[in-house]
Amino acid sequence: MPIGTELTARLGIAHPILAAPMAMITGSRLVMAVSDAGGLGILGGGYGDRAWLEAETAVLRRYHRPFGIGFITWSLARQPELIEIALEARPRAVMLSFGDPAPFAPRIKAAGALLICQVQSEDMAQQALDCGADILIAQGTEAGGHGASRTTLDIVPAIADFAAGRVPVVAAGGIADGRGLAAMMMLGASGVLMGTRFYASVEADAPERAKQLICAAKSGETVRGVVMDWSRKLMWPAPFTARSLSNDHLRRWSGREIELMQRADEIAVEYAAARAAANFDVAAVFAGESVGLIHDIVPAAEIVGRIVAEAERTLQGRRNSLSSLS
Amino acid sequence: MWPDRRLIDRFKTEFPIVLAPMAGVMDAELVIAVAQGGGLGSLPCAMLSAEKAREQVNIIRQRVSAPVNLNFFCHEAVDADPAREAQWRQRLGPYYREHGLDPDAPINAANRAPFDAAFCAVVEELKPEVVSFHFGLPEPKLLQRVKAAGAIVMSSATTVKEAIWLEENGADVVIAQGADAGGHRAMFLTDDIAEQPGTFSLLPQVVDAVKVPVVAAGGIADGRGIAAAFALGASAVQIGTAFLRCPESKVSAAGRVALAQASDESTVITNVMTGRPARGVANRVMREVGPISPDAPAFPHAATALGPLKVAAEKQGKVDFTNLWAGQAVRMGKEMPAAELTRALAGAALARMGKMAG
Repeated sequence: MPIGTELTARLGIAHPILAAPMAMITGSRLVMAVSDAGGLGILGGGYGDRAWLEAETAVLRRYHRPFGIGFITWSLARQPELIEIALEARPRAVMLSFGDPAPFAPRIKAAGALLICQVQSEDMAQQALDCGADILIAQGTEAGGHGASRTTLDIVPAIADFAAGRVPVVAAGGIADGRGLAAMMMLGASGVLMGTRFYASVEADAPERAKQLICAAKSGETVRGVVMDWSRKLMWPAPFTARSLSNDHLRRWSGREIELMQRADEIAVEYAAARAAANFDVAAVFAGESVGLIHDIVPAAEIVGRIVAEAERTLQGRRNSLSSLS
Repeated sequence: MWPDRRLIDRFKTEFPIVLAPMAGVMDAELVIAVAQGGGLGSLPCAMLSAEKAREQVNIIRQRVSAPVNLNFFCHEAVDADPAREAQWRQRLGPYYREHGLDPDAPINAANRAPFDAAFCAVVEELKPEVVSFHFGLPEPKLLQRVKAAGAIVMSSATTVKEAIWLEENGADVVIAQGADAGGHRAMFLTDDIAEQPGTFSLLPQVVDAVKVPVVAAGGIADGRGIAAAFALGASAVQIGTAFLRCPESKVSAAGRVALAQASDESTVITNVMTGRPARGVANRVMREVGPISPDAPAFPHAATALGPLKVAAEKQGKVDFTNLWAGQAVRMGKEMPAAELTRALAGAALARMGKMAG
């Protein structure tokens, strides 16, 4: 049975479950699997690899269910023309994270797509609303990949209060099951965005080994910091850092970030080689604190189905009252 | 209706709300008020002598007929290292000079004693319904005596591993303390702050890993948070920061101003105030020396040299050296009587859950 909220109504989907745009991991295959299951898959446009984006959007152009395309905003600003490739695929929504959405907002809205902005503070939420965001994602520090420092339990009700009566708010960070969806709705969210849970899905474009590492990782075995970015010579703007599974490389460099920066050229070569060889003792598997809740690699449709069933049980299954709640 | 009554039934309280024991900023007054509001009041004993703890419990027993929780630290006590103390005083030297204080004058040592036989005798004598520990559990012999005195034993876990350890070693209830929480991180099997999960990712994982009931702690300060914690499998919640601004707390006037002005980005995890990582409202010494400093002496000795600075600054209405512990929900604290707040929190949670269930 669908769980209807203001979010599902706005997006035209059955369940308030969004698959995060994990850079080049949420490819068209995972996007379609999640959207087929009644959620919203969001393509991981990431830093903006033109060839990859063209190939993936070519597939999505022929897809008729709602889907989204996501970008890292500050990186997109370096090749703004990529937004046109995205919009040609006629996504239901474009999701912008990490940076000022203003330069892209008018173009996205003019193309008839909804603008989803991921935020980590009230100031960012204000900036997003000022440029016409239709949906806000409130992201807690528990999230895998890039994010900031406030926890999900703090940021979700804060942004829900901030955006009350204006736009629906989606919770992100540390959520991987139906209890999490139910809890986030209790906090005032209209749905959830999950990355790590969908990383360990059959359809995610990631090495099998990385998916297995997520399933094997226990709670607490992730770390947020700058080591993985600096090892790739990626200088992210403040306040963003990245959370990944703890590994040898992180243990080696955590606390020695200055030296890492000084030796960036040498380390970057080592890191790139490890990444190419899928050596995850060095290369990052970006994952959130929910890893301890994830034990199996299953089709995305099964993930969506489980979460909906479990959330309904937790919410006692009486969905009719949910739609009135937003 | 509460979806999980395991702890209400065991505590015999009206609501599954535990007042967090906040050493240094509260005493019997706040315990009594929360108990009158239907929650479980907790008396922090870590900074009290056994005699003082007995006196406080007697006050509580006289004023309210309700279960009470006594809270103790069970860190491993280490003697102050004179070399590190001297180095720390040197690090803080400029602040001493700024405040016209003599850095070489003798100071009273920080007083945070671990649970011992004297405290155990107090427990046996006063028979609190609940005893909670921070930083693990006391040695098995003492723990047995606490249990034999009839107390339900709780302790905090900051990781799933710690939760399992606590259950295996005799805790009747596990408190899942997320990184959002104010005050000292309860961590006792790890010292890696970077790996401390937030409340809402830690909680369901602890619920899955242990059979005993789980209390959610950290960042919960309103009805929505309580309802959400129950959705994730909690049987109760522990709330501290939300009560700091209640008239019954012992937070100083300057502290109250700082709390009122705090935003959600005001808190940090620091080790400079006591030597162990704890979350609080960022103050001058945390910013300038920390938030994490390798120079800070072992717990609790870092607090010793800060003592005179704290007193001197507070006289000028400043909290530059005051450990104002608070969690990430700091902006949600309310200036209202604690009994009323307890009832309001429970009411809002029940309304939220009822509304969601239709």
